[in-house]
Amino acid sequence: MVSNEPIVVYENFSYSYPTTPNALVDINLEIHRGEIFGVIGPNGAGKSTFCKSLNGLVPHFYGGTMKGRVLVDGMDTFEHTTAELSTKVGLVFQEPETQLSGLALTVEDEVGFGLSMLGFPAKLIRQRAREALEKVGLKGFERRSPFELSGGEQQRLAIATVLAMKPEIMVLDEPVALLDPIGKYEVLSVIKEIAAEGSTIVIAEHEIEELAYFADRILVLNEGRMVSLDNAKMVLSEVEKLKKIGVDPPSVTELAYLLEHDLGIKLEYPITLPEALKIFGELMEGR
Amino acid sequence: MGEKIIEVKDVWFKYSEKVTALRGVSLEVAQGERIALIGQNGSGKTTLAKHLNGLLKPTKGDVIVKGMNTKETPTHILTNIVGYVFQNPAHQIFTKSVYEEVAYGPKNQGLSKEEVDERVKMALELVGLSGYENVHPYDLNYGQMKLLTIASIIAMQPDVYVLDEPTSGQDHRGRRKLMKLIDRLNREGKTIIVITHDMRFVAETSERTILMARGKIIGDGPTEEILLNTELLRQTAIKPPQIVQLCEGLRKQGIDLHALTIQEAYQVLRRKLAAS
Amino acid sequence: MSSLATSILRRSIAEVDTPMHRLDPRVKFLFFIWISVWAYIFLDYTLTAIFLITVLILTFIGKIFKKTVKAVSIIVVPWMAVGIPILSALFPWNKTLIYNVQLFGYNIPLYYEGLAWGIVWPLRIGVCLASAMFFLFTTEPVKLIALLFNFRMPFRFIYAVAGALQFTPILLDDLQTIIQAQRSRGLRTDVSLLKRLANYPVLIVPLTLSTLNKVQIRAIALESRGFSAPVTKTWPYDLSLKRRDYIFLAGIIATTIIFIYIYLVYGFSPINHLQFYIAAG
Repeated sequence: MVSNEPIVVYENFSYSYPTTPNALVDINLEIHRGEIFGVIGPNGAGKSTFCKSLNGLVPHFYGGTMKGRVLVDGMDTFEHTTAELSTKVGLVFQEPETQLSGLALTVEDEVGFGLSMLGFPAKLIRQRAREALEKVGLKGFERRSPFELSGGEQQRLAIATVLAMKPEIMVLDEPVALLDPIGKYEVLSVIKEIAAEGSTIVIAEHEIEELAYFADRILVLNEGRMVSLDNAKMVLSEVEKLKKIGVDPPSVTELAYLLEHDLGIKLEYPITLPEALKIFGELMEGR
Repeated sequence: MGEKIIEVKDVWFKYSEKVTALRGVSLEVAQGERIALIGQNGSGKTTLAKHLNGLLKPTKGDVIVKGMNTKETPTHILTNIVGYVFQNPAHQIFTKSVYEEVAYGPKNQGLSKEEVDERVKMALELVGLSGYENVHPYDLNYGQMKLLTIASIIAMQPDVYVLDEPTSGQDHRGRRKLMKLIDRLNREGKTIIVITHDMRFVAETSERTILMARGKIIGDGPTEEILLNTELLRQTAIKPPQIVQLCEGLRKQGIDLHALTIQEAYQVLRRKLAAS
Repeated sequence: MSSLATSILRRSIAEVDTPMHRLDPRVKFLFFIWISVWAYIFLDYTLTAIFLITVLILTFIGKIFKKTVKAVSIIVVPWMAVGIPILSALFPWNKTLIYNVQLFGYNIPLYYEGLAWGIVWPLRIGVCLASAMFFLFTTEPVKLIALLFNFRMPFRFIYAVAGALQFTPILLDDLQTIIQAQRSRGLRTDVSLLKRLANYPVLIVPLTLSTLNKVQIRAIALESRGFSAPVTKTWPYDLSLKRRDYIFLAGIIATTIIFIYIYLVYGFSPINHLQFYIAAG
């Protein structure tokens, strides 16, 4: 359930990497507790930078210059280290194998890795690890080596590692980009489940057709700037705007746009398949 | 369609004692075809593709490229006929300028300086990177880097292009550029084989689709046939493009609609609406 | 603890489990230091050869025999091939003549002391190398890291070692892909060594960049999981000595006593009876 309570606040936030200026420019927004917040945009728009600005990697790891501030559950990301923010914000990256710690012999140990780094007691780590593994559907994988898992399994393992730390927000930076169809399906299912339980999730994605199913609001970035921020349906219905900056809206949405734009047919724009079946079904009834 | 350019005859391939990646794969490719090779990771599609330019040789069976058996022909001869563009540009780029990068292939082919120059110019023009000759490859954005790697193969003037996940990491603009490029190459008579997970891209660019699972080809035919074969796709846990799913759902509601792409769907709907 | 062992060079699970693998890494590390020191104390090529053979037997039990023999041969054989002729002729403490060789009309005397020296030194290095490999290759990377924790090494140093261990297989995989990608552009692997050297930058540049990129990704992933938190980490792997470790240690202690006795009674060259002054070093 989405509340109106902001858990993340961006105030006039701008950031430049040491070698790339204007990665993000004048970001002003709030993310609410329990919200599923999608981030879309063409390559180089700043989606990844945005994700990394939520846990302090931007600016602490990369250096560079910034203006304004980012508050995560009241903590200013400039004033706190990434390690401190890691209990509030969990970040899952694109690369399934590379983001593993490389220091764990078994899946169970990998899941507990973050908690080990924060010095949690061993018993608590084991308990949280088992819970997290169950949640991502990897129950039974405890004793296996993280390196012998498939891409989809490794990504779910990464999600479990983050879940075990019980952060306020889970941030996923294009989590399924490098996976095959089965891996994509597994990981997106897990994300949808976690979303349905009321977690706050920020997800940067290229798979907009999938995102349309579970995002509450979507932020559109282009060249570091905010282009739109509104609920999913509103944002994805702006077909021309999206295509102009290099983003493909869902196929069904584009189809509805063509019907309206070229034939003048007024209809609600669907953003998911069930919606499309209903809307086009009604439109074409009897033909 | 042109004549047979590649023949794969009952090929088996083992990476090791325990890992058999291909289990009796057979197919024929004619000049000028546009083929999509799809399947889950581990289905053998990449392994099969690497047999086409001789990077891998069959454990059993034969691969004949333009009349030459890959087991009896040195790889560097085969790579002049079948150009393979790998997925990750970072695995290829090693020079300081776009020019040098694209010139590497033709240089290896033993061409004279003038010929190399010609080839580079031609390749850059085709991918839309003319004027970038002196740019450092890492100053390009990701989409441009991908075009660069394709250019470096175009410069070798192969007859067949194998593109490994060309749309991964690309946005809408990148995909559009790629589609145009494939069109141009195909119009010049080149054969295009694309390995991809992007079903929408398959629907929009390939007239023939080969579906693999567990080291075997389980589907090989016109793209419409394969993508509309829901049973077959369900077996391999592959979802057809959203438009195909839409049509399937609408057909269940009694609305007769067949389309692979947004444009096709739009045309059909338009005709139906005009008819009533 | 399951009997899974991941070799340093291959991260796929190979069910390698030998008695040597089950020894505590601290014991194996001690063995490496211990036998290297004794190989240095004794100047006796027969004895040093016995040391080397003993270590090789251990590597045989540990199923890393082929690797070790290969590595040791690469160092020892060329060294001997060059060292023995030169030292037999030109060693400062040569005095026992064994042979006179006629070369280009010159008479070159060859002496026993130089010969012995030329054999002993490469063998000593061989013992060092073989025992080090024994320690490294029969120990799971994670146990190696547990060892570093046990020795209270700074966490960042431990990570550097762990990183190197973990990235080697990834690097090798990447290298394979890079070779294939470049071969697709005409890179030749079937030509002379000299021409293949020219291939070096074509492969090294992408490998380095791709590796650096991966290193960075892992670094930010670790940061995001609290890696830099200045607290005492809870490490799930600890080491405890078992009965087999005590037996091995007992063997080491017993042998040490015997060695000390031999040294005191028979000197530093008990079998070969080499006698000469050994300057410092």
